[in-house]
This record gives sequence, C-alpha cells and structure tokens, in this order.
Amino acid sequence: MNTPYPSEDGDLLVIGYGNTLRQDDRAGPLVAGTIESYALPGVRTLVCAQLSPEHAEAVARAREVVLVDAMSGSVRATNLQRIAPAASPQVTTHAVEPPTLLALARDVYGRVPPVWLLTVPAEKLGFGTDISETTRHGVEVAVGKIVKLAHRKSLKPVEV
Amino acid sequence: MSQRIVIDPVTRIEGHAKISVYVDNAGNVSGAEFHVVEFRGFEKFCEGRPYTEMPGITPRICGICPVSHLLASAKAGDAIMAVSIPVAADKLRRLMNLGQLVQSHALSFFHLSAPDFLLGWDSPPASRNVFGLIASHVDLARAGIRLRQFGQEIIEVLGGRKVHPAWAVPGGVRSALTKEGAEKIRAWLPEAYATTRTALDLFQKVLETHQHEVQLYGNFPSLFMGLVAPDGGWEHHGGKLRFIDSSGSIIADQVAPADYLKVIGEAVQDSSYLKSPYYVPLGPVDGLYRVGPLARLNVCTHMGVTQADAELRNFKALSPGAVTSSFLYHYARLIEILASLEWIERYLDDADLYGSHLRADAGINSLHGVGASEAPRGTLFHDYTVDRNGLLQKVNLIVATGQNNLAMNRTVAQIARHFARGPEITEPMLNRIEHGIRCYDPCLSCSTHAAGKMALHVRMIAPDGRVLHEMKRD
Repeated sequence: MNTPYPSEDGDLLVIGYGNTLRQDDRAGPLVAGTIESYALPGVRTLVCAQLSPEHAEAVARAREVVLVDAMSGSVRATNLQRIAPAASPQVTTHAVEPPTLLALARDVYGRVPPVWLLTVPAEKLGFGTDISETTRHGVEVAVGKIVKLAHRKSLKPVEV
Repeated sequence: MSQRIVIDPVTRIEGHAKISVYVDNAGNVSGAEFHVVEFRGFEKFCEGRPYTEMPGITPRICGICPVSHLLASAKAGDAIMAVSIPVAADKLRRLMNLGQLVQSHALSFFHLSAPDFLLGWDSPPASRNVFGLIASHVDLARAGIRLRQFGQEIIEVLGGRKVHPAWAVPGGVRSALTKEGAEKIRAWLPEAYATTRTALDLFQKVLETHQHEVQLYGNFPSLFMGLVAPDGGWEHHGGKLRFIDSSGSIIADQVAPADYLKVIGEAVQDSSYLKSPYYVPLGPVDGLYRVGPLARLNVCTHMGVTQADAELRNFKALSPGAVTSSFLYHYARLIEILASLEWIERYLDDADLYGSHLRADAGINSLHGVGASEAPRGTLFHDYTVDRNGLLQKVNLIVATGQNNLAMNRTVAQIARHFARGPEITEPMLNRIEHGIRCYDPCLSCSTHAAGKMALHVRMIAPDGRVLHEMKRD
C-alpha cells in the first residue's frame, strides 16, 4: 500500500511556523528566517503559519527535519527533542500537529526521516510584532542548535 | 434529572469551541448552544495603521484562509482610492481566489468530513479520520491531498508563497502570471478534474445511503445570502449581495457591498465571543441566514461553466425551493471545486489575464471603503474608515463563520433533539452533533482571531449547579 517515496533530497529541512503578528508566536519563522540567511550547505528552510497536510511530502523527502515553534507555559528554556509519528491516527484540521504530520508522511509517502521538535519559550501572545527578551534569547539558542545539527553526521531514516 | 452534556473540544474544525446540550428532567433535549471561547480583537489592533498595510496585516488573522482576507482588504483599499482596477488585475485576483476555494474545499471534504460518511458514524474514533480513510480508500485520500496542493500551488504561482502572499494591493496586484506558472497550473488540471469527478460520483452514493442525515443535519428553513453577478450567476469575488428565502424567492437583490449595513445587523450572544449577524428587515430571530457553498449555489441561477452547471441542476433538483439541508454543504463544496477548475481553465486561455497594466494609481478619494469577497466559508466583509492621511480610524470585519453562527446553533439543537436519549451518551451520537458543525467548515480562528491553542475546560453540570465531572487540557 505504501509506495516508498522516489528519492530523498538529502537536505536538512527546517520548518519554522507561527503567526508573525502574535508577538512571541513569530519565534518559529524568525528562527527559520535566520537559518535561511546563513545559507548553510545542505539546509533548506520553509516558513509557514502552521503545519498543513501538504508539508508531509517535504518531510518525507528530507534527510532530517527540524520543526520550530513557540511554546507558552511554564517551560522557559529552548528545547530540542526527537519526535515520532503518531502511533494511532489523530484527528486532523486545516492545521496538523507534528506527530500527525509525521504519520501522514509515513502513511502516504512511506518514509519518515529523523524529526526534531525545537520549541522556543513564549511569554507574550498578543497582537504585535515585538517579542519578549525570553523569546529573543530563545531564538538565538534555537539557531545555534540547528547549526550544530547541520554539521553533525545524519541519522539513519526510517523506511516504512 | 436535567443534564448539560458538553462536547469540548469539537474536533476537526478550526479554532476551539464547545457544545452544550441541555436536557430537561424528562430526558428530552431542551436546547443546545455552540460556544466560542476565543477572543476577538483584531479590529482594535489595526486602528491607527495605514490602510495600505491592511492587505499585509489581515491575512495573518488566520493561516487557513489568508487569501480571502488579502483580497477583501485590497478591495476595501480600492474603494478608498475610488478606482476601478485594471482588467488583468481583477482576473488575476479571481484566479487566486479560485485556487483558495479549491484548496480549502478539498481539505474540508477529504480530511475533515469524508471520514465520517465514508467510514461510518459508528466506526472507532481512532480510525474515523483521514488515516482511516487512507487505509480503506487509499487512492482517494492521496488524490485529495494532491487536490489541495493544486489549489495551494495556484496561490504560490501568483503570490510567491502559499500562506500570506503579499501580492494583492489597493489598486491592483504586484505581479503578473508568468508563462511558466500558467503552464504549471494547466498541466495539473486533468488530475484535479479526475479527483473532483471521483469525489462527486462518490458523494452521489453517499446521498443514497445518508438520507437520514440529509433530513436531520441542519435541515430547516432559513434565508441564504451570497454575492451574485448582474445576471444572477455564481460569483466568488465580485458582484452584489442577494438574499433568498427557503422557498427560493429573492427578498433582496443587487445590494452593493458598501451598503451591507442596511441589510446585515450583528447581535451579541451571552455565551460566546462570536457575534451573530442577521438580516435586518426580519430581526435577529427570523433574520437568520446562511452563507457559504450551500448559500452560493442557492442564490445563483447558473455557474457559467458547463460541467458545474450540470451539477448545479442536479443540486437544485433536490428541492423545489432552496436546498435547506446543511449536510448538503459537502455536495455544494464539490460543485464549487468543479466550477473553480473550469473557471481556472477559462482564465488561463483569456488574453486579458496576461495584460501588463496591473495597478491603478490614485490617492485617498474616499474616507470609507468596503471590500467584499466570497471566502470558502462564505461572504467576507472588510469595512475601513480612514482619516485624510489614510490612517485607519475604524475597522469592522464580518467573517463567514460568524454569519453562520445562528444556523450552527440551530443545527446542533436539531441533531441533539433527534439523537439524544436520556442520560446515555454514545460516541456515535456525539460525533453526529460535531459533524453538524463541520458541515459549515467553520473557521473559528478567523471569527475570533485567536492566537492558537487555548486551554480547554469540560464540565458536566447538574441542575442545581454542581459540577458532576470536570476535565482540563492545557
């Protein structure tokens, strides 16, 4: 049923998502935009308001993926963690959660590379383009983590 | 014992909401409400900003239908400048809106709604979603994803990006359609047509086996509103407003969008942040009206393209007057996808589309401008008042989902009245109530301009106010 995707493009894909008019929610796009400006070899970036089903194809093709998003709540540090596809099907909307996106890559395109969720702490989520100092620092830390990832040896992808 | 049954959150719609079903002492449903707990405040945020920034700002209300806000905002700017935009710009804007309709309707049908009626209301929750659809109808699921990608591709070809394209501006558009872009769209059309035809054929079978749902899911008399062309044809971006009643009779016609306040009022509900527009001459109760695909097909006389016109005839044959069942929003969406594809193909062959004059040049010639456009979910209004420097003094946004608010309440009540029986709450019953809401494909993020996820709070409340059961999710 699952046809393996024809070819991997060999890149580290960085997807930064969030609403750029909701203050700290723009952390994801800021990180991805900064990475893009570095023009690192073997690294592609994608900026979007939210994850959508059609991003599954880009995920399935990549060597490795980093999803970058703002996260509000008690966590105050930038956090990088490996994530897995949803084990059982999740409900979907016009926007999808990261595990759902991976499950879509698995079920429709037959391949899930190593995927990381990189969260940047968010304090302010009102209307505006300014960001908090916490998020500003978090963006810098996040960019550093991605640069390190870009230079390390790639992990083996998971073929379905 | 009276009970208040709460379904929170409603899955597979945008934004967050809860549904309350009130059951009396005899175990009968006495009422139902669709609550929206999100906060609306975008209009205040925009005050003081130049009107020229609005096409860049307002698409960020929502990541689902940014194109709709982009186009309505640009049209409001056109009105402030008091210009008629060049023909090429108008047709390019229309092309982008058609792409928006295709991608949004495709996702609504294949991902959000089809799992219910293809897999069954009683199928396990874990499989009643797109992944279950993939397992049992794998070709259809993949084709549906591709159809949405096609719509997104049109948006990107024109605007340079799929989300928040900074392309339509007051006076016109920033850039033309390239020859390569046109060929890319044209090459994809055959696949898009095939997927849409498969979905339409499938839905005909669904109609045969889901007459119960047709009768019970939001099937009630109401008004319908949408934009129409001067000859009454289907409109998605221009034209003027038309209201019809459930008999199909026109009760208001060719109302200029700039005069929308003469026909549309907004009522506030205590239990929701979502305002409830109504048809002014009939008041907040009798003035309930629906917008979106069902309404657009009801108010128009023809689609203007061959295949979609044939489907429209089939659609209108379902009822002697207006088609009143909200379950048939799904059918209307598929017909609109087909019409969109046919119009896309027609525009690609239209020499006007490739004209070089893309922007009208003017200053501020009016201190008030209204832009209206048909978003996938229904008519969208951007109403701007500016000072002589073009700085916004007042902004009013009426979005599609808000206009369907009263109808969604009535739909929930109707379904609950039929399927709720005493204290027993079953998963299939709850899913039917949720599906009633999903028929409208509401975008609550647009309606209330939410930032993203919010904490959810579910409560079962006894008649004396005691909390019987409580759940929280951060």
